[in-house]
Parts: sequence; structure tokens; C-alpha cells
Amino acid sequence: MSKAQRLETKRGRELKFTFEGETVTAFEGETLATALLAAGVAAFSLTRTGEPRLPFCNMGTCFDCAVCVDGRFLVRACLTDVREGMQVNRQEGK
Amino acid sequence: MHDLAIVGAGPAGMAAALAVAEAGFSVVVVDEQARAGGQIFRRPPEAWGERHGTYRPYTWARDLIERFEDHPGIKTHFRSTVFGVLRDRDRSEHAVFDVAVSTPVGGQRITSRRLLLATGAYDMPVAFPGWTLPGVMTAGAVQSLLKSQKVLAGKRIVLVGSHPIQLILAGQLLDAGAEIVEIALARDMPGLVEMVRSLPAIPGHVSIFSEGLRALAKIARHRVPISRRTVVSEAVSKDNMLDVRLSQVDRDWKKTGINHTVEADVLVLGYGFTPSTELARQVGCDLIWNSVGGGWTVSHDTGFQSSAPDVFVAGEPTGVAGAERAWAEGHMAGLAIAASLGATIPPVALAQARRRLTGSARFAGVMQAMFAPRRAALAELSRQEETVICRCETIRNGKIEKTLQNNPFIQSASAVKLECRSGMGPCQGRYCEATVAARVAEVRKASIEASGYFNAHLPVKPVPLQDYRDIGGE
Repeated sequence: MSKAQRLETKRGRELKFTFEGETVTAFEGETLATALLAAGVAAFSLTRTGEPRLPFCNMGTCFDCAVCVDGRFLVRACLTDVREGMQVNRQEGK
Repeated sequence: MHDLAIVGAGPAGMAAALAVAEAGFSVVVVDEQARAGGQIFRRPPEAWGERHGTYRPYTWARDLIERFEDHPGIKTHFRSTVFGVLRDRDRSEHAVFDVAVSTPVGGQRITSRRLLLATGAYDMPVAFPGWTLPGVMTAGAVQSLLKSQKVLAGKRIVLVGSHPIQLILAGQLLDAGAEIVEIALARDMPGLVEMVRSLPAIPGHVSIFSEGLRALAKIARHRVPISRRTVVSEAVSKDNMLDVRLSQVDRDWKKTGINHTVEADVLVLGYGFTPSTELARQVGCDLIWNSVGGGWTVSHDTGFQSSAPDVFVAGEPTGVAGAERAWAEGHMAGLAIAASLGATIPPVALAQARRRLTGSARFAGVMQAMFAPRRAALAELSRQEETVICRCETIRNGKIEKTLQNNPFIQSASAVKLECRSGMGPCQGRYCEATVAARVAEVRKASIEASGYFNAHLPVKPVPLQDYRDIGGE
């Protein structure tokens, strides 16, 4: 499970989206990777053999943070800004 | 049609864009991040209300970013990925480039008369047992979370590597309230101390050294243990923590057998950087093996034109040498591009660009030589059968070694890729190429250079099919 924590700073307005159906609170300007890490998500994706993956490079190169956003697969969470109401799901069997 | 398309809005891309735009030409810049600055200056989001981040110790960064963002002749596409470049050689004596871009709202085609690849670098991949576990991150990942998102990757952190970024990062993490369990450096000495001693030989870079000194002082004040001649050899997940095994090594980074284990939330890897050359490969630029420069680099002339006509390159793809060098190269490349488009470059501007290049070369040379990775020793860390080499396709070392044993004619990294899929996943081989090449070299008793590199094709990064449809065309 991610143990990432937000530092105190002025962030954007609060917004909500879902990850695997659960509501996640985030702030405008955050990336999806940030929001999911700070929410303590244990796996952004699972490999074919079921091993959990979390972001590795946070710069769009490794694709370990890829998730499914509103039905669109292989979306890199580290390059995607959070939006109100977006539906995010774990990518499995990648 | 734009005069110039640039991939990458880091110091190199920004400097080149300005030089070309100031000569009166139209420039379009594409970058995957949200704002200009590149990986080095990852800035907080625009929505948080601040224009600038912290650029210390790069005193020129603020001015460069402001001039770049304010110039009316520069058009930008952020959060956008260039996934390939097509060239039409027939339309004129010069090339016309069709740059394929995946933007947040779909595919877009940009046409330009010149192309500059200022694609930067990424953290050098080092495969070892457990490097795919949650909590294992690159130095760049942890630093960018801190810089642009104000997020601490975890509370208890162990840093391993050989690059001075680990010391700077340790200072930043301590400032943010992290507990640093240990810093394990593969080198004999914490390199910055040596570098400080050679300071008089390197004028013009005092601020970078004082930044290093500041970090060292902070590390000492927090009594963070620094191990020398120590590399990471394994990470194991246990009770939602990482057990990180650190091993003593000799001067050539070969394990000498004495291990100890530390417990952490996050393991940060910092053994150096690898130039991003996939687009250069796809466009047809010649590459040169330059181990101290990060691996495969793009060949170029004094005006930073690559071997592919009208394709220029600047910054880390010519050899990883830091932000200041990237800025200098971008400036010179920009002047050369403007000249190739028909502008007259004032001798004063050219002289200034040359001076900047000379000044940055000295510093970059010292840095590169001092922090050259011992590639064979690092590749050795992935020797066990079960160690994952290709993260995307979960190809393990056993399969790669078996492939080499069963196919005596395979002599190259690319051939291994074709035979066992290592490098065929979404990251397109960026995180396994070096290890695969090292394994080929080891088994065939050849050099890593002789093992070659993975070919790159369009798309160099996977994008939705819809984006191809959007680009359409005749």
C-alpha cells in the first residue's frame, strides 16, 4: 500500500472521483497518480500473474501507473490531471 | 506549417524555441508534462496559483521560463505525447515533417520544416530482485512528486545509487519531513566532497556546489547513515514495508559478500540517467554508444544537426550532462536552426552561445567521468533466474539466458527482443534494453555496445487507436 502523504501547501479546489467504485477525494491540479498514491491505493494495476504495481518513474516513461479512465485503457496516471467525477479502474492482466 | 517543431519543453527545448522565435520564425513545442520546465524544473500546477517553483541553484531558469512562456511566436501543447514522426522527402529539397501527437483531446498532426528532439532523459534502470515491488521508485519519481505535487512518497526512505542527485534529493526529503534510513552509495566517496575540492577548476558552477554542500550538511545534521561501496541487491515486501538488502562491493562494484538489511516504505534508485532516444531512432538518426553520457546518444554536428537531414538534437539525448549543458546546447541548436531557415545570426550571439557551451562542457565532463556507472556490475544484480528484466512483459532473466543458450546466432539485444518479447510491452523496452544488452554482452563475451539497441517504430509510445483516426490524412 502506498504511504505517500500530501505536504501542507495551497492546493486547488477539492473534487471527487472514483477508483474501483470507491470515492476518492483529491485537489484540482493534482495528477491521478498523486491522488491515488495519497489515498493509499495498493495497486494501480496487476500483472498477468497478479502482482501489484505502483508508479515507478512518475514521468510517463514506465507505464506502471497505467489505469483505465472512463473506459479508456492504458492511461498514464502520472500524466493525467484529476477531474471531477472521473471513473478510474485498476488495469488488470497488463 | 510551422518552421520548427520541438519535442520537449525542458531547458534545451525552451532555449532553442526562443532562439528560433526571436529570429522571427514560428515554433511549436510538445511536452508530456503539464507546464514548461522539463523534469529538472517540475513546477507546481497552474491551478495552485503560482507561476514559479523553486529553481535553485539554476539562476537562469526563471528568466528562461518567463521569456519562453511569454513569447507570442511559440505555440505549446502540454500533456501531449509525440508518438512518431513521418517525413515527406518529395515536396522540396528540405524535409517536411509530420509529427504525430496524442493530446488530451485526441490525435493531432503537426507539420514543420525542421525538427528538434529535446527529449531529455529518464532514470537509469537497474534490475534486481524486487525492483518491480510497490514502493520501489526512481529518484526522478520521488523528486517530481515532491517538487510539482508537494507529495512525500513515504515516511521511511532508503536511497541507493551513485549519482549526486541522491544527496540533493536526500536534503529535499529531510526538509519535507521524511526519515532517511540510509543512503547507500556505490562509490568509494560521497562524490560531492571530491567535487568541492576540485571547485577552483570549474568556474561558473559555484551555486551547484553550494547546493551540494547544503545537502551534505543537512544529511550530517540529521545523522543519516551514509554507506560507501554499497549497492542494493534485493528488495522484499514484508508487512507493508520493504526489506531492502544492501551489499558491500569492491571498487568495480562487484559484490564482496557482506550484506545488511534495512526496512523502509520507499526505496529510491539513483544510479544515473539514460537519454531518451526513441524518437531519434524512429526518425533515423545515427546513435553513438557513450557509457558515461548515459548509454546510446544521438550523433550530431557542431550545430547540433543529427545525421538525419533537418533533424536537430539538444540536451540529454546528446549525452546526459545536466540542465546547464542542456540550456547551452538548446541555445546553439536554436541559432543553427534559425540559420538553416535563412536567418542571419549576429556574430555576438554566436560567440555567446559558444562561450556557454565551452563553460558547460568542462563541468559536464567532470560530472560524467566522476559518476560513470559500472554497467557490468549493475547488470550482475539481475543474474538470478527469477529476476524480472522486462517489467511490462514480466520476462525473467532465466528466459533471456535460455533464449541466448538455445539460439547461438542471437548476437544483439534486438534479436533477444524478437525471440522472447522483452521490450515489447507499453514502455517499449526503455526499462529492459540496457539489462538485455548487458546480458547479451556477457554471454557472448562481447561489449555492451556491440549488443546494440532496440529499434524504435511508430508509435514510440502506445496511444489510443482513435488518435490515429483523428490524424487521418490522405
